Amino acid sequence: MSALLTEVGESEDILRRAQEGDGDAFAALVSEHESMVFSIAWHFFSDRNRSEEIAQDVFLQLYRNLGKIETRAHLLFWLRQVTSRRCIDEVRRAGPRRISLDDAPELPVAPSSHDPLASRRLRESISTLPPRQRMVVTLRYQEDLDPSEIGRIVGLPVNTIKSHLHRALLALRKKMGVET
Amino acid sequence: MSLDNDLRNALRRVPAPEGFADRVLARVHGGQTILSARGQAGLPVLHWWRGIAATFLLAAMLGGWGAHEMVERRREAAGQRAREQVLLALRITGEKLAHAERGVRHITSE
Repeated sequence: MSALLTEVGESEDILRRAQEGDGDAFAALVSEHESMVFSIAWHFFSDRNRSEEIAQDVFLQLYRNLGKIETRAHLLFWLRQVTSRRCIDEVRRAGPRRISLDDAPELPVAPSSHDPLASRRLRESISTLPPRQRMVVTLRYQEDLDPSEIGRIVGLPVNTIKSHLHRALLALRKKMGVET
Repeated sequence: MSLDNDLRNALRRVPAPEGFADRVLARVHGGQTILSARGQAGLPVLHWWRGIAATFLLAAMLGGWGAHEMVERRREAAGQRAREQVLLALRITGEKLAHAERGVRHITSE
């Protein structure tokens, strides 16, 4: 418990120092959250270059808005919100520009007992979902968020999120041939 | 295996590309690098709209300069024509005066 409190205290201290213009502290914030931000974009686009470009934009925007961030929890919420909205805006602006997952490089992930081919097929199915459903599924399963938290992030009522999630899971079950 | 578990596994966080934080910091400090992936680190990215804007600007400048040159040349040519017409008129007038003078001399000598 005390270790957790120390860790939280250190994170708050890093945030405060970054707000005061400490470049090393800002670099530490980027390192701490880069995987989360990049992964949201990666699972949304399946395009490495596009995902990196968006993730960089998000951190650049964070740098300009550091003064508005109140706490570590607020920072996490802010990063998820800006990343998800940026992804959806990008699809609206530039179109899907979706690349086949056959062309997408496999990114290194921690080894697991799951079948990598099944995961790849599932990601391919996720990439065919409409943008909002795709983002809701990504936030639900990548970030392990509940519908009310997702609703606050993407700016939609909780019932709309539940509906998106329900439809997305139905579509995925159908594509994957999973019994309901 | 449930779909929930499969989704959690398929959508696990992945590490950001190597050097990602450095590229972010370079942009924060005014650099223009954006992409890294596959050996593109450090290359400035020229957005397509900037390229188009620069092309239009260059075309407008060249067009303006060309139009200005054309107007100048037309003005010079018109000036030249006017000068030639004045000289021709003076020459005709001179010839007529000489002819008249010759006529007067001829009459007076008779």
